[in-house]
Amino acid sequence: MSDAQLEVRDVSKTFSLGRGKTLKAVEGVTFGVEQNSICALLGPSGCGKSTVLRMMAGLETPTEGHVLIGGETVTGPGQDRGVVFQAYTSFDWLSVRKNVEFGMKANNIDAATRRERADHFLNLVGLSKFADAYPSQLSGGMRQRVAIARTLANGPEVLLMDEPFGALDAETRWLMQELMIDVAEKTNTTIVVVTHDLEEAIFLADKIIFLSTHPGRLKEEITPEFKAGKRIGDKERIIRMDGYSELEEKLMRLMREEGHRET
Amino acid sequence: MTQTKPKRDFFAVRSPVGRVQGTISAIGIWAVFFGVWILATSLGWVNELLVPSPQKVLAATYDLFVNRGFSSDVLVSVWRVFISFAMACSVAIPLGVAMGTFASIEAIFAPFVSAWRYLPAPSFIPILLMWFGTGEAPKLALLFIGVIFFLITLVMDHTKNVRKELIETALTLGASRYIVVVKVVFPAALPDIVTAMRQMLAMAWTYLVIAEIVASTTGIGAMMMRARRFLKTDEILSGIIVIGVLGLLTDVLFRVLHRRLFPYLEVKH
Repeated sequence: MSDAQLEVRDVSKTFSLGRGKTLKAVEGVTFGVEQNSICALLGPSGCGKSTVLRMMAGLETPTEGHVLIGGETVTGPGQDRGVVFQAYTSFDWLSVRKNVEFGMKANNIDAATRRERADHFLNLVGLSKFADAYPSQLSGGMRQRVAIARTLANGPEVLLMDEPFGALDAETRWLMQELMIDVAEKTNTTIVVVTHDLEEAIFLADKIIFLSTHPGRLKEEITPEFKAGKRIGDKERIIRMDGYSELEEKLMRLMREEGHRET
Repeated sequence: MTQTKPKRDFFAVRSPVGRVQGTISAIGIWAVFFGVWILATSLGWVNELLVPSPQKVLAATYDLFVNRGFSSDVLVSVWRVFISFAMACSVAIPLGVAMGTFASIEAIFAPFVSAWRYLPAPSFIPILLMWFGTGEAPKLALLFIGVIFFLITLVMDHTKNVRKELIETALTLGASRYIVVVKVVFPAALPDIVTAMRQMLAMAWTYLVIAEIVASTTGIGAMMMRARRFLKTDEILSGIIVIGVLGLLTDVLFRVLHRRLFPYLEVKH
């Protein structure tokens, strides 16, 4: 897997809980994410998928193993790996446009370029009309779009998303998933998305990394073969495709197995 | 077709009152207060030397301001509060933000600050008088000591409440530590910091009056102690009312400031 842009190599993470107690959240996970692909980290809650993503972002340090981006070991957060969290992270004191410009400003990009790129990405996520609004005036889905535009405008090589649509209602979530396909096609950004939503994983992913629980281990690496290497930007179309329900069933079975292990 | 408004039950649990009811209630309670006061003084239920009538207090307030130069006392008091509070803020806000951001700074100062919080500031008056004499310095020092340790703790707590995701978002966008603190942590905590300032300003007024009553020849508190010597209860009550009005004014001022500085907190979709 040397052609992978992002590599997780034999990574383990043990958290110290104090009083000498420890919790092994992730154990010996290895996988790669190819350039311009969408990879979903799927698994039941408590499988350490968010921890894996946070290590990719450089927000946690692996206890063992390495995360590599373009062959270089990740040592901390950086502009090359943008993160979108589940919780709203808009900077409420800044307008939507200033939010989107934040990363570029921090990286000393000149005002004209900032403005141009901000407008471009606000347009991409359909928020041009709200550029001068405050985030608190926006709905939950719109706030997540601001977060996505802000991350993309910063020009990351990889977009890391931690259950980004988990707090949204169902219709908004579908729209956002379709938007992500559109964004991936238009920007050629590599995307890693953590989810526990089977549909979301099948719809978005070129590759699904399924993690087991306690500790999180790589259970299976799944390629949705029925998509034949193409992305389907339409939720209604994909659920009618041959092979969709088989894959959903399979993932459901994997989820169930893990769920049983826990109880 | 006219809609009939459903009548609101007076004891409806936790349901908001209308504007009219709110206004009537607010005016009503004060009307009752002054009514009882006027009745008690005009019907001779109380000794008028000890409890002057509201009319007399009002007249005394007018006399104090117009003929006796009370406004200079008021200005001195306001100036003392303003200067000492500004000094306290200029130390407490940067330190509190630093303590709320960096655990290492907190580890140094928190044990010190929290111990000082339990020392009542007025207990320092005798030593402050010995150190600084009778000028402005001991009063300013008392207000400073009385306010700063609480303010530091409040600012630190509000800074700590800034959500981790905001900081992590800034870091993953490539922001430096300096930018994270100055452009994310500080603005995120600022509305709460301003609220803490508003609360502490009320405390500064309390210490001011203590300082002026104990050791001062100028200011509102000093005027009240002078009035006591001449049994001028109406002037003492004038002083109390002026302090109340000033407190109310600064509170309103801070609220307006809060609304102006943080328009984004008002707007909701």
